Parts: sequence; structure tokens; C-alpha cells
Amino acid sequence: MSELRALWVPLAVAAVAIVLLVVDVLTHPHTSRRWLGYFVAGALAAIFCATFLFPTDGRAAHGAFEGSAWTTSFQRLFLSAGVVAALGGLDDVAKRTPHRVGEYWLAMLFSIIGMLILPGARDLVLLIVAFELMGIPLYVLAAYAKTETKGGHAAEAALKLYLTGATSTAITLFGLALFTGMTGTTRLDALAGAAGATTPLAGVGLAFVIAGMGYKLGMVPFHMWVPDTYQGASTPFVAFLSVAPKAAGVAAMSAIFLFGMRGHPAHWAPVIALLAILSMVVGNLLALPQTDLRRLLGYSGIAQMGYVLVALASNDTFAAGMTFFFLTAYLFTNMGAFLVLHVAAESSGEHSAASLAGLAQRAPGLAAALMAFLLSLAGIPFVVGFWAKLYVLLAAFRAGLVLPVVVGIALAVVGLFYYLRVLSAAYMSEPGALKRPELGAPMRLAIGICVVAVVGLGLWPKPLVDQSLAAATSLLERR
Amino acid sequence: MTSHLLSLVVGAPALAALVLLFLRPEQRLAIRVVSLVAATVSLLGSVVALTSYDRARSGFQMVESYPIVPALGIHLTFALDGWGGPLLILTSVIIFAGVLASWSIAKRDKEYFALLLILVSGVYGVFVTQDLLVFFLFYEIAVLPMYLLIGIWGSSHEVRAEGPFRRAWEFFSVGDKQYAAMKLTLMLLVGSAAILVAIFALYAKAGARSFDLGVLASAHYSPELQVVLFPLLWLGFGTLAGVFPFHTWSPDGHASAPTAVSMLHAGVLMKLGAFGVMRVGMVLLPHGARVWVPVVGAVAAVNVLYGAFCAMSQKDLKYIIAYSSVSHMGVVMLGAATLTPEGWNGAVFQMVAHGIMTALFFAMVGLVYERAHTRAVAKMGGFATVMPGVAAFFTLACLSSLGLPGTAGFVSEFLVFLGAWRAGHYLWAIPGVLGAFVTAIYVLRATRAIFWGEGPSKEFHDLGEARGTEWAAPIVLGACVVLFGLWPRILLDHIDPGSAMHLERLLRLEAIERVVSTHAEGFKP
Repeated sequence: MSELRALWVPLAVAAVAIVLLVVDVLTHPHTSRRWLGYFVAGALAAIFCATFLFPTDGRAAHGAFEGSAWTTSFQRLFLSAGVVAALGGLDDVAKRTPHRVGEYWLAMLFSIIGMLILPGARDLVLLIVAFELMGIPLYVLAAYAKTETKGGHAAEAALKLYLTGATSTAITLFGLALFTGMTGTTRLDALAGAAGATTPLAGVGLAFVIAGMGYKLGMVPFHMWVPDTYQGASTPFVAFLSVAPKAAGVAAMSAIFLFGMRGHPAHWAPVIALLAILSMVVGNLLALPQTDLRRLLGYSGIAQMGYVLVALASNDTFAAGMTFFFLTAYLFTNMGAFLVLHVAAESSGEHSAASLAGLAQRAPGLAAALMAFLLSLAGIPFVVGFWAKLYVLLAAFRAGLVLPVVVGIALAVVGLFYYLRVLSAAYMSEPGALKRPELGAPMRLAIGICVVAVVGLGLWPKPLVDQSLAAATSLLERR
Repeated sequence: MTSHLLSLVVGAPALAALVLLFLRPEQRLAIRVVSLVAATVSLLGSVVALTSYDRARSGFQMVESYPIVPALGIHLTFALDGWGGPLLILTSVIIFAGVLASWSIAKRDKEYFALLLILVSGVYGVFVTQDLLVFFLFYEIAVLPMYLLIGIWGSSHEVRAEGPFRRAWEFFSVGDKQYAAMKLTLMLLVGSAAILVAIFALYAKAGARSFDLGVLASAHYSPELQVVLFPLLWLGFGTLAGVFPFHTWSPDGHASAPTAVSMLHAGVLMKLGAFGVMRVGMVLLPHGARVWVPVVGAVAAVNVLYGAFCAMSQKDLKYIIAYSSVSHMGVVMLGAATLTPEGWNGAVFQMVAHGIMTALFFAMVGLVYERAHTRAVAKMGGFATVMPGVAAFFTLACLSSLGLPGTAGFVSEFLVFLGAWRAGHYLWAIPGVLGAFVTAIYVLRATRAIFWGEGPSKEFHDLGEARGTEWAAPIVLGACVVLFGLWPRILLDHIDPGSAMHLERLLRLEAIERVVSTHAEGFKP
């Protein structure tokens, strides 16, 4: 019974997926099945609310899965990402692939199930299985609009995502094979006491794990697929791809390194700090010359991951909490930015800064939302991105990582430059012949949720800070 | 009664900006009325704050505190010290005049007023907050709306690129308003980055888990750390104060900005920088300040003279005033660097005096520009015959700028140079006084070139006197210039206890060092 209690959230989503599968088979393929998107969004929202009502703690599968505040916090994050993605992608899917709507949502739900298991995985085998459950549907989704978009690069995007994803899984598995071979256990809580955890070969294994995870997160130097995939796949899907799997990847890394290898930070923290610096430098500098805004957000996302890794490398409870805070902030901010970009691109037919020209006059509300997201990405006060950057850098500073902090703060200014350039397109150039973009009700709702989260948490971050710290405490302090 | 006064002053503009969001762009009068009401509420609140501040008791008064992130020791704490009152008055007067000076703005006015009001909320917040992180938050709020305000509503300068860097100038479109806006934002944000690093270090090394300025001030920072951190704060905040050589954003920004934004930026925002250097840098890091003041003072002296000479060689009216701000901000930093009560009083008084004077300048320049459609001084002449009122107020600003007794500018410059002299910094006082002399040359030359001499050429057919709300800015600001010049006590009686309180720690440190050194001599074998 306690197993059910710990695992009911992923099980509930699985049940929704099965219902969706049956409904999809039973309805006629030529009727409009746009409403399936509403069904997915509604079901995920209901499960999200239910996590506040029913307990989710406990252990399952002999301790391979552990439900705790940490797990539940991440699960809520993924569920809300699912809701926003479903609302934001609803019209796009119904329009581009009208005959394959059900499968789209099915793939997304399976991916979400993987994410929901990931933060609670306390065994390396379960962790990898969850990781793949999350990853494989994403390859399908990236290629989803392949035949319907003219001149699109969806196939290229999906192939790049698939090849790097498969390779990184192989690399991760190889690293874990070496690692578990030396430690003799796949259980994360046993790693701390395992004798072989500090041997050179285990170190080599860890290096492979970091590289494999680095691919998934798009950390430099494993970032090449990010801008290409973002440019090729359909934008509402990229909104989801750019945040949720990355948050899940960070949850997995936290489980392995913060939870499992906490006692031996010297074996992994410097490498992660180095990758963090590289990600911030390369991501921010390569974002500068980008003209396609999807690529710009791709590189900026690489840079943002650098900030998360700075906190991860700090190796303490406060920093772990702030990692979660940052991911929450980044999730709503980046999804919102991609969705606004999608709406603007739909009305102008391209994804360059020119597609945003005069947005402030054409659609003042949308432009204001974009401003909130861009300022949040840049880390400007009174939107949540400021607190996110502040907290991770403060956590790192307290842990003595002065160099990454200085690099991070200096490059935030570079980041501000390219975010402001996007903003100046929306606010300072004239609309010309561009029309007022059309927003459906679900898209309004999706962007609205993101705005409320970004501005609300920016003005009143305390509840999320408390939640983040409680989550981190439940992961690291309660043994 | 005064328990929530500071929240009212800080919050009224932000609240009005929120109200503006719900108005339609067509409701043009309502937009202006809401803005004006907010500015008036803040102005009255500031006056009440100034008058109800108990000078005999001094210290921090009207304290309000709300937790933001108690886990990290971040509280939204407002409190008024001796400096707060005069600086609130300065901000209020300028935004009040600024809203009225923007009355005729035609393009996207709803967004314009909303951004202006948000910016002003940030400025108020910086002056009264007692929490270092919230201080930084408000500082950013005050800095960032400027990007849009200049980029959208600004005016581009017709630069004829010449000389060896012609190509580079054309490539970056120097003189363009978007160039100016981006330059300003990025330079100030680099400054903010330096400030943030210093704030982290102050917080982490204090170990008190609090950002409260009082708690941080009582923490012990090692002398080595102070010597490292002080320049970060000095240059970080100093960028906004126009400290040489990081002043280059200021002429471009001020020249490109619309009238009310120039008034606010030169009048108030640059003061935030100097205020930050004194309130955070010098008060929290007394040892670092004492080690670095020779440099700070020398650079300030350079500012005074270099700014004045630059202003002298400008052909564009707005650039003249903008460089004069660089020069006058040097006087503020000079006063701060003396680390004496007179110097600090002079510095804070100069913030107010220069703020009001330069706002008056920019308001008048705005009126001239709106009518003449050019900023080139060479084309103008004899405007006084058609706009005698504007000419009179411009001349008043000039007189205050060159430090004529009876105007506010005289009081502050006198105090600063007195402080510098008393502290034995003759080498700073001399360039300072020289700068005041050069100022006299360029402001009087500009006045003569614009307003006096032959009547205006036929090209300027629609010149005319200020009308309606346009009179508000010159009257309010001009009255303040004369009032504070003739009766400086109303402000100095507040500033003085403030300076005394903030200097106390520095003076105590000095006393301790003196005791230690005499003991050391005593122990000599």
C-alpha cells in the first residue's frame, strides 16, 4: 500500500495515457480531436491539484523509488509544464497534424511519466529506465511535424536529437557500468559508504556519466544539438523540450551527485563547475550573433543551464534548493518566451527579430508578457528570473565558488544585451505591414499561467523559496 | 500617522503605473491626471516626511519592515535618515515638474507615463530602504526603464562622423537613440554587476545572514577585504554617478532622452550613484574608503575639470548640459571623498542643488528644441525676444550652475571646497574652483548664443513663449533654486545630522587608529 502511495502520481498519469489511447482508437480519425488537448491539460491540472491533497511520500520497489518533498516538488513542476505545453500546443497540433492528434499527446504523457519517476529514483537502474522513458517519446515528438511543414527541418531536428540522445545514453550507461563495477552497488544511498567510489576507475565512470548527462542538458561542450533542434522542431513542442527534460536531467544529476556522491565532492564538483563556466561563456557569447530567435533562445538556454550547474557544484543543501528554484523560474519563463515567439511567428511567418517588429503596438499584452519573460531570462528584479540568478549565485558564493560567480554575473550583462535587442524589436521598431497576431483561448491561458508565475513569484518569492528549501532538506538532510 | 508614510511615497507612483495599465490609450487626459495625482501624493508625502522628521532625535525614523525572504534575511525595510528627506524632496519636485513637462507627449503616452512612474518608484526606494539587497532591487528598477524611455521616445542626434574613428562611429550608429539607450543600459549594468559581487561578499563575510545595512555596518570586515571591495562599489555605483572615465554613457543618454527623462536622469538618477558610493561604499567599508579616497578625490577633480572643458567644446545644446552634469557630479564625489562633515553636507546638498538646476536646464532646452527643432547652438540666436520667460529661467539655471551666491549651487560648492580645504586636500580644491570658473565661461557663452544678440532668423518661425503646463517645470524648479539658495538651512538642518551619523563609524575608526599608533609609539624600546 505504501508503494502505491509513493507512486500514485506517475500511475495516475499512466492511467490518463491509457484512457487517451482508448479514446483515440474509438473516435473516428477524421473528426476534429482538438479537444484531446484540453483533456490532457485538464487531467494533468487535476493531478497537479491532487498532489496537494494526497500524500506522496514513502518508498517503493524496495527503496528504488522514494517519494519525498523533493520528488513531489519536481513532480509538480513537470505536471505544470505538461499543462502549459498541452494548452500552448493544442491548436498547433490540431492544425498541423489533424489526423495524429492522439498519438502526440500520448507520446508527451509517456515522456512526462518518465520525468515523474526520475526525481524519486534512488537506484541507478530505475534512474536510467526513467530517463529513457522520458527521452524516447521526445525523439518522436521532435519529428512530429515532419511532413506537414514546408521547408521545415523537423527531420533534421529529430535525427540530431535522436543521435545525440542515443549516444549520450550509451555513454552514460558505460560510465555507470564502470562505476557500479567499482562500487558494487546500484543503490544511490549505498554509494556514500561504498569502498570503491573513490577509485580512479570509478572516477572515469563518473566522467562518462557527466558527459552523458551533459548531452541531455545541452552543457558545453555537448551542446551542438540544442540550437538545431530548437530551430527545426515545432515551437510549442520546443517550449516543452527546452525546459522539462532539462529540469529532469538536473534532478537526475542531483540524485547521483548531491545525494549519492555527497561525501566525495572532490571527485565531481570541480568538473561540473568547469562545465558550468564553459556553458555560461559559450552559451552567452554564441547567442550574440544569432538572428533566428529560436537559436538565440537555444544558446541562452545553454547559458542558463550553466547557472544551474554552478549551484549544483556548490554541493550543499541550500544550493540544491536553489537549483530547484532556478529550474521552476526557468521553466515558466522559457516556455512563455517560446510560446510568445510562436504566436508572433505564426502572424509573420518567420522566427527572426523582424517577426516581433512593433509587437507593442499590435498586441500590447503579448509584448508586455514577452518583456516579463525576457527580463526574467536576463535576471532583472521584480520578475522571478532575478531571484533565481541571485539565489544560485549566492549559494555558490557561500560555498566558496567565487570564479563561477564572477563569470556568471559578468556574462549576465552580455545576456542582457541580446535579450534587450529582442525587446527593442518588439518595442522600438514600427509594425509596418505586420498584422495583429491571433491567439486562441488555450494559448492565452498558457501564456497567462507563465506570466502569473513569472511576475507573481518575482514579487513574492517566499513560498517558492520555502518549498525549495524543504525539498532540498528532504533530499539531503533526512537520512 | 507617519507609520506608512514612506510606503506611500514609494508606492504611489508604482500603484499609478498599475492603474495606467487598465486605461485605454485614448483616455489621454485620464492618463495624465493619474500620473499627476501620483506625483502630487509623493510630493506631499515627501514634504510631510521632511517636516515630521525629528531632527533633535536624528537617526532612523518612520521605520517600516516587511519580510520578503526571511530565510535569507531579506526584508523590505524603509526608514528615513537625515539625508532621506532632502533627497525625497528632490525626486518629488523633479517628477512633479517632469510629468507636467511631458503633458504634450503624443506617442504611446500610456506606456511612457507608466515607465516614468515605475522608474521614480525605484528612485524613492533607493533613498529610503535600509536593506542592501532591496536597495539593489530598487536601484535596478530605477536604471532599466531608461532603456525603453530613451529608445522609444528619445531623439537622435545628427552626428557627422569625422576623424580616424569615422567608420567605427558609423558602424555603431553613434548618436542614434537606440545606440545611446543600449550604451547607457549596458554600462550601468556592468556597474551593477560589480555592485552585486561586492554585495555578495559583504553578505557572506558578515556571516550574519542578513542584508540589513545596520547589521552589515556593525560587521567586521578585514582591512584587506575592504581595500578590494571598495573600488568595486565605487566604480559600480560611480558609473551611474558619471565618474571619469565611466561617464561616457551620460552625454549620449541625456542628449537622446526625451525632456522629462533627461530631467529625471541627470537630476536624480546620477545622484543614486553618488548616494550609493557614500551610503554603501564609504559607510560599510570605512577602511577601504580611507585607503581609496586619494584616488576618488583625484578622479573627482578630473571629472570637474574634464567635464567642464568637454562642455565648452560642444556644439549641441543638450550635450553642453549633459557634460555640465558630469562636471557637477565631480563636485559631489569630491565632497564625498573629503570624508568630513562639511564635505558630505556639501555633497548631499549639491545632489539636490544640481538635480534641480539641471532639471531646469533640461526643461528649458526641451522647450527650445520643441520649437526650434534643432539642438545646434550655432543656428540659434536672439531667442529672448520671442521667449523671454524661457530665457529668464535658463539664465537662472546658468547662474546656479556657475555658483552665484543666492542660488543653491553656491551653497553646495562652497561647502564642498571648504570641506576639501579643511581636510587638507588643496590639490583637489584648486581644480574644483577652476572648474567652477570654466563653467561660468561655457554656460554664459551658451546663454548668449541662444537667447541674446540678433533676433531669430526666419527659419525659426514658430518660436513662442511657454504655454500652459509648460510653465509648471520652470516655476517649480526655479522657485526651488532660489529658495534653497537663500535659505539652505531647511535642507542643511536635515543633512547635517545625517552626515554626522553616517560619518561616525569612519571617525571612530580614525580615533582607534590614532590610539593604536600612540600606543605603538609608547611601546617603542
